Amino acid sequence: MNESKISVWVRLLWMFLKVNILSPSGPASIGFLYDEAVGKLMTEERFVEAVGFSNVLPGSEALKLAMFVGFAAGGIPGVFAALLGAILPPTVLMLIVASLLQRFQGEDWLASFVAGMSPAVAALIVVVGWELFRAGSRKKIDRRVILIALLSAVAFWFEIPSPFVLLGAGVLGVILFGKRGFK
Amino acid sequence: MDQFLELFWIFLKVNLLSTSGPASVGLLYHEVVGKLVTEGQFVQAVGLSSVLPGSDALQLAMYIGYAVAGIPGGFVALLASILPPTIIILGVTMVLHRLRREAWLSSFIEGLTPAISVLMLFVAWKIFQKGGSTGWEGWAIGIVSLIAMFLNAPARIVVILAGLVGIFFLK
Repeated sequence: MNESKISVWVRLLWMFLKVNILSPSGPASIGFLYDEAVGKLMTEERFVEAVGFSNVLPGSEALKLAMFVGFAAGGIPGVFAALLGAILPPTVLMLIVASLLQRFQGEDWLASFVAGMSPAVAALIVVVGWELFRAGSRKKIDRRVILIALLSAVAFWFEIPSPFVLLGAGVLGVILFGKRGFK
Repeated sequence: MDQFLELFWIFLKVNLLSTSGPASVGLLYHEVVGKLVTEGQFVQAVGLSSVLPGSDALQLAMYIGYAVAGIPGGFVALLASILPPTIIILGVTMVLHRLRREAWLSSFIEGLTPAISVLMLFVAWKIFQKGGSTGWEGWAIGIVSLIAMFLNAPARIVVILAGLVGIFFLK
């Protein structure tokens, strides 16, 4: 009994290490995680529920998914095994790269690299923003969504601090959309 | 000590007000650029986090924390990013499983999302402007990358190629 529990935890840890080494970001890992977890560690229904929750709760998507899958498969210790697996690869890699880069911070080639990367990063942000906007309103984009977008554009234009704008938009959402429930 | 508190507070806030790593970029920009890191460092953080495997949110935290206060800074930022989703999920799975019927949270996020999108547009424009290449070369890189990514080219490859183009053509 005890042994099989531990093997579930080890499997969770290994699975999330693998998923997080092989996929570039949280959302991108969903497909991969599906193949690894569904049928073996949890049912399809629970997986879909986990993805749904991850989309609407705050914080890193990869972590939320890891915790849901970990909980379904191995309870609270499962949560921590999955969490550890999801946290280690990205942070260790980034630490290595960041510390290497720190040495080149003054160099010309790095400045040019960043100058070339800036327009692409700006484009990436636009694309992600657009995808969020579309995914956020699952049906068609209705007037209430446009209203919130316009109001926040005006607020950002007048340089109201962004956390306040975001909080305000959320509160406005509660007022406008009311009680609708998940999904 | 102040630096650590500031890092902790910023990443706590950012991870409470966004639903995924890429979506947090807009808010994070306003909170750290000019105060804790430079424009160039921020571009590196976002670029690298989209290139390296794994959660973008954690990588952004690690890079910026490290740039501000070395390895301890990285861990402080990391901890602050991990806490909000962990506590919320543990709460959801254990106590509030009926949260699905507590619809206000879902409406809150639904209102939050368009604002985050607009914020990202603003930040994208700022990053573009301050990136150091607003001549035709910068526009060309930006537009080509935009089209490539809308056609589903992998972002990490686009970002790396753009950087390489920068090394060879933007002197």
